Amino acid sequence: MSQPPKEVIKFEVNGRTVEVAVRPYDVLLDVLRNELDLIGTKRGCDQGSCGCCAIHMDGRPVLSCLTLAKWAAGKKITTIEGLANPEPHPLQTAFETCGATQCGFCTPGFIMSAKALLDRNAEPDEATIKEHISGNVCRCTGYLQIVEAVQKASEELLEKDRPHDASVVERNRQTHPAGR
Amino acid sequence: MILPPFTLHEPKTVDEAVALKTKFGKDADFVAGGTDLLCNYKYEINAKPHVISLGTVTELKSFDTTRIGAGALLDDVMTDSGMRRDLPVIPAAIGVISSHLLRQTGTVGGNLMVDTRCFWFNQSKFWRDSISGCLKSEGDACRVVWGAKECVAVYSGDLAPVLITLGASVTIAGPKGRRVVPLGEFYEHDGIKRHVLGEGELLVEIRIPTEARTWKASYRKLRTRESFDFPVLGVAVAAKVDGDLLLDAHVNLGAVHTTPLSRDGAISQFIGKRIDEATASEIGEAVADGLVIHNNTAMTPAYRRKMVAVFTKRCFLDVTGKRAVAETASR
Ligand SMILES: Cc1cc2nc3c(=O)[nH]c(=O)nc-3n(C[C@H](O)[C@H](O)[C@H](O)COP(=O)(O)OP(=O)(O)OC[C@H]3O[C@@H](n4cnc5c(N)ncnc54)[C@H](O)[C@@H]3O)c2cc1C
Ligand code: FES
Ligand code: FES
Repeated sequence: MSQPPKEVIKFEVNGRTVEVAVRPYDVLLDVLRNELDLIGTKRGCDQGSCGCCAIHMDGRPVLSCLTLAKWAAGKKITTIEGLANPEPHPLQTAFETCGATQCGFCTPGFIMSAKALLDRNAEPDEATIKEHISGNVCRCTGYLQIVEAVQKASEELLEKDRPHDASVVERNRQTHPAGR
Repeated sequence: MILPPFTLHEPKTVDEAVALKTKFGKDADFVAGGTDLLCNYKYEINAKPHVISLGTVTELKSFDTTRIGAGALLDDVMTDSGMRRDLPVIPAAIGVISSHLLRQTGTVGGNLMVDTRCFWFNQSKFWRDSISGCLKSEGDACRVVWGAKECVAVYSGDLAPVLITLGASVTIAGPKGRRVVPLGEFYEHDGIKRHVLGEGELLVEIRIPTEARTWKASYRKLRTRESFDFPVLGVAVAAKVDGDLLLDAHVNLGAVHTTPLSRDGAISQFIGKRIDEATASEIGEAVADGLVIHNNTAMTPAYRRKMVAVFTKRCFLDVTGKRAVAETASR
């Protein structure tokens, strides 16, 4: 069979509109990494079983390894590169300060899952955090620090909404002294 | 892994989807969320040159507590307040399907249609080539049952057993119009044939009788890990009860046969009885008795058969209020 032709699709990625020629059987992960140079999104299993490739599509956390690139047409995509603004997102800082990242391969996926949760629920309890990161696998850190990092980021984001209360920010800093 | 080449079709209506499937026949597959199909395609398992994407067919997406469009997203149905109030067993069962991330794109219809599984078959092309394939892939011999002429790959969806015990039916659209089939009669033996869908047909919706809301229901799932894994056993029970008096009940097993397996015949003697620990154990034994389970998933047939009895007992204690219904459907 002759190969089906490429088609140009247009979508928004991290606030920027892009046009890219894709084949009908390209997955979004390959297009992000190979065509758009957004290599923060990782390929782990390529089979839906690890969560390393998680991105947001119209605000939903989805696995880019199982998303056809053509399905992104007209959608808003956010990848890990889109989180810093330009300061690192509180989740990114919290992963660093809590020691929730070691080799770092799983980290973009975890952060995208956690970000989707915090967007929906600013103050999730521990069980909810665990449920929302249960589609991500980490082979290095164990999960305790990751849960802790999400809790810390949630606290910080809530603080940001109340910037005048400096004493709480200071208390949070003291309960998480692991900063480098 | 690069997917094998295919042409993607994106119909807007059910009629267009049916027309495309009728045109391409066995050369085409439907795809909804892709969380099952694309994994199989990456392993080059029965990939087709045409793929018809249902994500653009808006008619399939809506749902309420009486009908669920085949294209409704698992996460949306699971978090729906009406569903949680009226039919809590459905969100509980969805909560143990695949993972939070996969449930964002996986659909209810795709779940009912999920392909049968077997560890001689859900492997890479390279791996399968080393054993010359099997009946369901490139080969001509079953690797599980020596000399078998029919495929014994296991039906591994979580929702179908639950929906069958609730008396659900499915609306099917095809070139000759629409028809409604009880979900309990939708699946057909043989891991390759799988179901009654004919040429050009697709699933439109799942209908749930309002009476189901008055039944008590429970689903328990056995799997290797608490997240991510397909069931190696699923037990669904729905019962009409008056306190601990069992007025009527349905039992359906997932992941032990090529189709969801009704065990209603095994429990008829218990209808009209009061359920306590001892009778629940007897029901469990009756449901497990005589089951033929093949050795083609992650846990041994002997263990899975034992767990049929254990989970069935627990489900009956759940539905008669003898045991707090598990917050999650596991264990
Ligand atoms: C790591 C991993 C773990 C998983 N764990 C589980 C699990 O625990 N339990 C479980 O049940 N599933 C599991 N799955 C499978 C899958 O995620 C779910 O079953 C999901 O609901 C499939 O829905 P989908 O929309 O993605 O289906 P798709 O992949 O799009 O389609 C699946 C099949 O259904 C057909 N189909 C889809 N919609 C229709 C329609 N309307 N009419 C006719 N045919 C249709 C397709 O042609 C295809 O054959 C897992 C998958 C992965 C990758
Ligand atoms: S690479 Fe997508 S889930 Fe592992
Ligand atoms: S930090 Fe290495 S896999 Fe998670």
